[in-house]
Amino acid sequence: MNPETERTWIINGEKMSVTFPPGRRLLDVLREDLKLTGTKEGCGEGECGACTVIVDGELIVSCLLAAGQVPDGAEIMTVEGLEKTEGGRLLQASYVEKGAAQCGFCIPGMIMSSYHLLSRGEPLSQPIIREAHAGNICRCTGYEKIMEAVSAAAEHWPKSEAKS
Amino acid sequence: MQTKEITFKHVGQGIPRRDGDEKVRGLARYVDDLNIPDCWYGVAVRSPVAHGRLKTLRYDPAFDFDQVCVVTPEDIPGKNIVDMMGQDMPFLAHDLIRYRGEPLALVAAPTRQLAEQAAAHIQPDIDPLEPLYTLEEVIALHKTDRSKLDELSAQTIIKGSVDEGLAAADKVIEGEYWAGHQEQLYIEPQGMVAIPEKDGGVFLQGSLQCPYYIAPELIVTLGLPLEKIRVKQAAVGGAFGGKEEFPTLVAGYCALLAMKSGKPVKMVYDRCQDIRYSTKRHPAWMKYRVGLKNDGTITAIHVDFVLDGGAYTTLSPVVLYRGILHTTLGYNCEHVFVDGRVYRTHTFPDGAFRGFGAPQAIWGLESHMQECADALGMDAEVFRLKNYLRAGDKTGTGQVISAEMDPPAVMLETLKRSDFVNRRTLNTYGVPRDGKFFGVGVAFFGHGSGFTGDGEMRLQSKAALDLDWLPNGKPGVNIRISSTEMGQGTLTIMPQIAADGLKIPMACVDCPLPDTKYVPDSGPTVASRTAMVVGSTVYGAAEKMKALLEQYASDAFFGGHPCHLEDGVLTCSAVSQSQTFEDVARRLLEEKGMQRVVHQFKLPDTVVWDQKTFKGDSYPSYSWSANIVEVEIDALTLEIKLKKATSVWDIGRLMNPVLAKGQIEGGLTQALGYALMEKMGIRDGLFDADRMQTYVVPTSLDTPEFDIHFMEYPYPHAAPGAKGVGEIPMDGLAPAIANAIKAATGIRMNRIPITPESLWEAMPSTRKEIAS
Ligand code: FES
Ligand code: FES
Repeated sequence: MNPETERTWIINGEKMSVTFPPGRRLLDVLREDLKLTGTKEGCGEGECGACTVIVDGELIVSCLLAAGQVPDGAEIMTVEGLEKTEGGRLLQASYVEKGAAQCGFCIPGMIMSSYHLLSRGEPLSQPIIREAHAGNICRCTGYEKIMEAVSAAAEHWPKSEAKS
Repeated sequence: MQTKEITFKHVGQGIPRRDGDEKVRGLARYVDDLNIPDCWYGVAVRSPVAHGRLKTLRYDPAFDFDQVCVVTPEDIPGKNIVDMMGQDMPFLAHDLIRYRGEPLALVAAPTRQLAEQAAAHIQPDIDPLEPLYTLEEVIALHKTDRSKLDELSAQTIIKGSVDEGLAAADKVIEGEYWAGHQEQLYIEPQGMVAIPEKDGGVFLQGSLQCPYYIAPELIVTLGLPLEKIRVKQAAVGGAFGGKEEFPTLVAGYCALLAMKSGKPVKMVYDRCQDIRYSTKRHPAWMKYRVGLKNDGTITAIHVDFVLDGGAYTTLSPVVLYRGILHTTLGYNCEHVFVDGRVYRTHTFPDGAFRGFGAPQAIWGLESHMQECADALGMDAEVFRLKNYLRAGDKTGTGQVISAEMDPPAVMLETLKRSDFVNRRTLNTYGVPRDGKFFGVGVAFFGHGSGFTGDGEMRLQSKAALDLDWLPNGKPGVNIRISSTEMGQGTLTIMPQIAADGLKIPMACVDCPLPDTKYVPDSGPTVASRTAMVVGSTVYGAAEKMKALLEQYASDAFFGGHPCHLEDGVLTCSAVSQSQTFEDVARRLLEEKGMQRVVHQFKLPDTVVWDQKTFKGDSYPSYSWSANIVEVEIDALTLEIKLKKATSVWDIGRLMNPVLAKGQIEGGLTQALGYALMEKMGIRDGLFDADRMQTYVVPTSLDTPEFDIHFMEYPYPHAAPGAKGVGEIPMDGLAPAIANAIKAATGIRMNRIPITPESLWEAMPSTRKEIAS
């Protein structure tokens, strides 16, 4: 038997400990071991972005990251954690109002890219917003309504959640 | 039923989608998110060859098969066939193998890893036969020796005498057009779970479009009566036709394993499996021969339309029907001959994909109509407006375009909004300007709403409304339909429609995901029929429920005097009293329990269709659109960029403009992929682009500036008057882009996807020298 790896992380603001075999993907630890099934698997090879989460402020695709590479004490934010932040709630409301979600399968990853972009607090333009979501494939929407939702949320983004 | 008299309160509003909140919070439960205790995992043992005869399956004696459950054809309780058209597909191949990856046996185990290990220890012995893989090979034989081909389906459309029409022409313009496979690429892959029930039945939950395809189709295989096969939709992460007929296979695999093992069994495909072993859009080849008078009149349209059906019949005949019906749609012509055929190849069976044959047909039609205009030296819009169907004209099947439609209206509006006539003065016609080619192109098209021909009459879709206690503890109305939510908005528009039929607030109406235990068969969620057909059926049921409530309130509250329900209040003018819907519903529920009303869809008696001769009303109605696009091509790299897409849509009355626009934007984006990006070849019998890294679809950086506009011509025979929206956005962009590329470069591209490489190949050698 391979030795299990043990980690304690702050996930969506809560301290959680988990053990897993070496090499296990962060995506599987989140979805299967921690039952955080909001994060989705669309391709398993870093192309679709459905598995996107934020680890210590970095946007990552959790299907390509071995969970063991995430150090103890790391802060992980998944779609389930969005509503604990003012900006996250704003984004969620904006996505719903603008019709940015259709089947919704890409959304848990897409909206993390939106949150990451807006929380950087940098000046935005349409090309910047588009670029920031280019790693998230949506097969339903044609992206228009997602761009609208992000632009609308950006206008009311809480200052406290802009990092720079 | 006339829609004019009805006033709508919720229909037509851009109400945010009902399932939006759970989707943006990550709470929606897709099949792989369901927590099913003691669930085993299923995999298939697949054929390594595309064509051959199976001799035996060899089980590795070194592997302990006692820890897993194996299903072979002998374990199938019913017949080893998939009960679809043709009945030529076995659930598990036992003799003839017709595609690479065809399942030969199934394995379930407590973990996916163990199931995969077990499957790897079952080895088939196969005598290989010669395979036929591609449409190119098929067409070569179609032109030379058809006896070598296996025809899965054939159908003609005949109007007038095409020979006479061609003889009367001043010019005959010919052209061939090709379209490749397209993958639906829903972001949630295929998945299903089967749970054995105590009574010997099976409960299936999964990612699916049509619960009442799966249940009745599995009767034959599982040997169970219909009531013992329960099918429930989980949240669906996109479908686009890819979860129409295909999920019956995964459901069958899971059910067979669950019934034998006694365990719940789940299968969720990974992306590579999903692309390799699920359906695609049929590759198509068309040859047009069109007779023209010098004044632009079309005297004859002759079309050969051939589809590559893949290994088995499945839905191909119906795809062929919709395909051929759209090969001439929109154009007025006395003499039409369409010869449609589907041939078998040794690749995964092709199947449903948004548009269902129409995108292929319109790709050929609108490319060729531009060729005709060019050959006559006529402007694109002048040629089309001269020949386009108007109210009173007849289609290729003799259907009269009814007075409530005005097909050219969308064209005129698109011309105006896109400023086409001025913009085309910038066309470069092969001479780049500032290092770029530029062109504008147009396509003009219709799409049949609902099932083909008398399909809607035969389907007899039903919708039920249950007056019941809602999850919030209050009395309300549950909509019970088998229509699924797959992102298009069923769960939102149906409550809008029901609330308007009942005249109660939307908050009092719920629409749970379908479960065959509770819902009648409203037909499948396909064919651009949900808003029009099922919407109208729900509206009819709502009117019945309103009458039931009024009758009850009259007796229970108003001493038998009639009352009227409006805005959630029942008012009796005779006694000058009123009661809220909630109070009346509460009393009724407490007294008599749940109340159900059922309504069945009916087409007007004037709809007549002959399936044998393909004459008559081929669709209950049509949606119409024109797309005008601007394309820029880098003269050095030949990178093709769609800059702008202007489009106008008549999809009948809009149920929800925000959701409708979402359908159009998303559909146009898929059409952009079809036109320029999504390329799928065959290598050793498998699709070569079998990952998202190699099968490239549009991202947020690829979409153009969209200008989308609606013109509402409601369907008058089915309140509230929607027509089809789901499929039509897939239809016209590819030919519009190809026409723009011709205006930009002077080159007619006749094969999609059009890539920089294919454009380079098509360049005349003189041009290539300049570029290199
Ligand atoms: S599942 Fe991780 S990028 Fe697609
Ligand atoms: S909403 Fe369906 S993939 Fe984005």
